[in-house]
Amino acid sequence: MDILKQIFSPLTHIKGRTLVILIIIQTVVALLLWEIFGANGLIPTPLKIIKAVVTIVTTEFFIDNFFSSLGLTLTGMGLSIVIALVVSYLSLIPVFTPLARFIVKCRYLTLTGLIFLFTLITQDGHQLKLSLLIFGIVPFFVTSLLSIIESINIQEYELCKTLRMNNWQTLLEVVIIGRLDQVFEVMRQNFAIAWMMITMVEGLSMSEGGLGTMLIKSNKYIDLSTVFAILVIIFALGIFFDYLLKNMRYWLFPYTKIHVRK
Amino acid sequence: MMKYSKNELLIDVQGVSLTYDKQILRDINFKIHNIVRPDVNQGQVISLIGRSGIGKTQLFKILAGLIQPTTGIVNIGLDQHPVVAGEVGIVAQNYILFNHRTVQENLRLAMKHSSNTQTSEEKDKLIQEYAEKFDLSEHLKKYPMQLSGGQRQRVSIIQQVLTGNRFILLDEPFSGLDALMIDRVMDLLLRVSTLHELNTLVIISHDVENSLAISDTAFILAREKGKEQECATITETLDLIEMGFAWNPKIREDQAFQHLVSQIKHKI
Repeated sequence: MDILKQIFSPLTHIKGRTLVILIIIQTVVALLLWEIFGANGLIPTPLKIIKAVVTIVTTEFFIDNFFSSLGLTLTGMGLSIVIALVVSYLSLIPVFTPLARFIVKCRYLTLTGLIFLFTLITQDGHQLKLSLLIFGIVPFFVTSLLSIIESINIQEYELCKTLRMNNWQTLLEVVIIGRLDQVFEVMRQNFAIAWMMITMVEGLSMSEGGLGTMLIKSNKYIDLSTVFAILVIIFALGIFFDYLLKNMRYWLFPYTKIHVRK
Repeated sequence: MMKYSKNELLIDVQGVSLTYDKQILRDINFKIHNIVRPDVNQGQVISLIGRSGIGKTQLFKILAGLIQPTTGIVNIGLDQHPVVAGEVGIVAQNYILFNHRTVQENLRLAMKHSSNTQTSEEKDKLIQEYAEKFDLSEHLKKYPMQLSGGQRQRVSIIQQVLTGNRFILLDEPFSGLDALMIDRVMDLLLRVSTLHELNTLVIISHDVENSLAISDTAFILAREKGKEQECATITETLDLIEMGFAWNPKIREDQAFQHLVSQIKHKI
């Protein structure tokens, strides 16, 4: 009874095990309802989707498509984080501040209108996808990184001064080394954006394949079981990478666990 | 009366004022001399006492060289040169440390950019010595977030001592501490002050009783009587050695001392 009261009471902290049970029960109930009431509908039921997932993952072209998407995402993420870090750190040097501010505002630029421009600039389909991905991610990365930098307590800079560090040493200690864990967290959060965008950019050049290409082709033939199966795969992979990055952060920066417990 | 003498000038604050949108500090003047006692490394403990919002933190930053006053100058050291950021240690009220570094790394960093020419092994040995002296040996491998408030304060103070700075400013060191912890902090500060003859601790606080109990000199920062709308200045200087209240661990039990505390509380 106490647990029942707790789960309906606002601002109550519940144990991890209780939360897992809640998630499992709600998922099972939702899937059961979908299976029972969705049997005659247009949208395929969970069982049909699971069958389609099994079929897809056992085909030989799935691995190629999966690695094509993953490779593109990781390359795009890697290059984006490097560009975003350089821009964010440079933003602390007054002459580069306007550039950083402009890149932040680029979040409001739609990619669709720029495809033609990028097609002219780039050499092939791969470059086109990569550059669009980077152009799409960098403004979000820079926004998050600048917000981290702006939230640094001024007393940390003052502490550096009392420890006789010059401005460059302060930048290295407080902004670069001191916030690496948060950069990793930003990367984790923005991986979702990159993973979401991958299906869009892969549709622009389908010769290299990829999960996005598979999705677009299945959509074209209104093969809804396959469409939903690919969505489930993309969703599951996204959650897996999120989990992986979260644990990598704890492993690389053990002090972040202390913050979480607090 | 204990034997002592006031020798060289260590800190000289001359005509300091600070104005932002309105004037905050006006004509702050005080001098701190090296107090010498036979057979003791007698450092100096000075209090700047004032109520909250009076401009104590701004004065704190001026004394540390972190901000420049609108007028006036702060000279420090035996050669009396203008203060430069980095020459005066600060222990902030919330005991700022680098949360991404262990206690040992935080302390190592204190010596990294100082004029200390010791080898890494010698520096580690020095850290170990201080950690033992201030009950931190078992916490050296921990991160600041794993420490209690009192432990963080001790690390913060030792960090500033390890830079080799002889001048350390402490912002509200008794704030938010219970009676037992206050006694421990007072003991810690007295130990730090007696580590070296020239060690000078400047406590900036609104806690009249504890600040006076630990100090040899106190300056009252307040608005002048009849000019309550005006900015703050030093309204009174208390030579606690001359008054017979300094260097006595049980001074808070003294009736005359309590009378003085009561008077000062009414003045700030």
